[in-house]
Amino acid sequence: MSARPATQARDSTATVPRTRRRRRFSTGSLVIDLVLLVLAVIMASPIVWLISQSLTVERFAFQLPPGWIPVPFTLDNFEQIFPLVPFGQMALNSVIVATLSTGGALLTSVLAAYAFSRLAFRGREFIFITMLTALMVPVQLTVIPVFIMMRNLHLVDTLAALILPALVNVFAIFFLRQYFNSIPRELDEAARIDGAGHLWILFRMLVPLSSPAISAVIIILFQLSWNDYFDPLIFINSPQNMTLPIGLVSLQGGAAPGPVVVVFAAVTLVVVPVLVLFLVFQRQFVASVAASGIRG
Amino acid sequence: MLLFLVFIVAPFVAAIALSFFNWDLLTPAQPAGLANYAQLFGDRQLVHVLANTFVFALGSVVTHVAGGLLLALALNHVMNRILASVVKATLFFPLLISWAAVALLWKYVLDPTFGYIGYYLRQIGIPTPSFFADPHWALAAIIGVDFWHTIGYTLIIMLAGLQTVPRELVEAAQTDGASSRQVFFNVTLPLMSPTIFFATVITFIGAFQIFDPMQIITQGGPNESTMSVVQYLYLTAFQSFNVGYASTIALVVFVIVMGVTAVQFWASRRWVYQS
Repeated sequence: MSARPATQARDSTATVPRTRRRRRFSTGSLVIDLVLLVLAVIMASPIVWLISQSLTVERFAFQLPPGWIPVPFTLDNFEQIFPLVPFGQMALNSVIVATLSTGGALLTSVLAAYAFSRLAFRGREFIFITMLTALMVPVQLTVIPVFIMMRNLHLVDTLAALILPALVNVFAIFFLRQYFNSIPRELDEAARIDGAGHLWILFRMLVPLSSPAISAVIIILFQLSWNDYFDPLIFINSPQNMTLPIGLVSLQGGAAPGPVVVVFAAVTLVVVPVLVLFLVFQRQFVASVAASGIRG
Repeated sequence: MLLFLVFIVAPFVAAIALSFFNWDLLTPAQPAGLANYAQLFGDRQLVHVLANTFVFALGSVVTHVAGGLLLALALNHVMNRILASVVKATLFFPLLISWAAVALLWKYVLDPTFGYIGYYLRQIGIPTPSFFADPHWALAAIIGVDFWHTIGYTLIIMLAGLQTVPRELVEAAQTDGASSRQVFFNVTLPLMSPTIFFATVITFIGAFQIFDPMQIITQGGPNESTMSVVQYLYLTAFQSFNVGYASTIALVVFVIVMGVTAVQFWASRRWVYQS
């Protein structure tokens, strides 16, 4: 009885300052809106500039004040990429490397995560902690021995040198194990009573139940491989085996340097598909970063 | 498991082993004992590149964490849905582009002769250096490019962190007459501290291993003012073909990253809020 008037009283006092605050806030929030708008323009400007310059006739590109609209318009710059570098082949290499790396690493991570989450075996904790430590080992430390290994296997300057080391990803294992651990074990037991084996439980039950985590892992792994510059720089020499990041840089300073507009055209060809994919899958992309960043 | 052993554990052990050898990858490896470790102490170039890397990492952590937090708070106040999503999209998108494309693009965006940023700054009366050619500015310019490239990551983390601050708590504080500044420092900031801590650790680890922009934009120059420790390692291993010493440097990087991370965890007990 006595509690009710008290809460009502508090509510009524709360509404009075709140309306006042909101009004005072609106001038402040207008300023915030404007600052953010300017920031968005500045953030987006390099991409707009990139695309507009690559569509402008070379003689008129890169003028000051900058021309934000491509006049006179041309597609010549794009045509000039292909005699300089095997761009199509590089794009294909990138697709092959990123797809196989992602698919392979996903398979090994799912299996390993199942083992760490569901199987009791000797030394499990020890191996798991070793793996977590490995999470902190930088690539630069392992790349030299891996390079020597690849040289002994005669795999230097092949796509396999990029794919094989990417087939195991400690972060993905850790992330998926955490997710599997959050799925109740009672489900496994129920499935086992119905006669299900480990692989059935894993692929028919845990994997479908973890689809948010799986898609996050796919996005992250694919992006890591697609954007990698360090490994191809070390393992790949010949243009026909290059992936896109290293191919782009070779266009600028390699054996056959092209004019800057052509470099820009190539960068545009790499960036625009990503931009389209981003606009379509923005929500999934952000969710994958948020989920992995917070758990990992 | 086997892959893990072959590609992570074995190379790790091999890297430690290699640090005790001199090897140019062509002739047989020569045992070097502790010579590589002794070389570390006399290596002034190493000290220089480590200093560069620390400056870069510090600049990167400060700009990302402060910028990410401010942007997340600002975005939380934006009422207009369309504006908020446009701003978020422009901040997130660069994260998806490879360093190679980002570096090539920004090399020209900040170019002294036809870069438009310098042009507009000059128009409003701010004299601009030639960013990547001036030893005093090159590293700062790369910190700026890095901010453009990866602020989206920090922002996503900060926005997710802000979601964990209970609205009731903020409203309760406001009801009790707290000013928005008091609410920020006494409610939002302490509750955000685990997120801020996480962002700091992750940004530092990433920044200390920076390589791509230095290699692509400046090649470590001018005057080695932008050479990072990983770039020095790369040059030692794959240009000077001194694999043993490069492995020793790699171990130094590993120990520093581990050490700084451990110190951050230790210090976090003093300022990170635990519920």
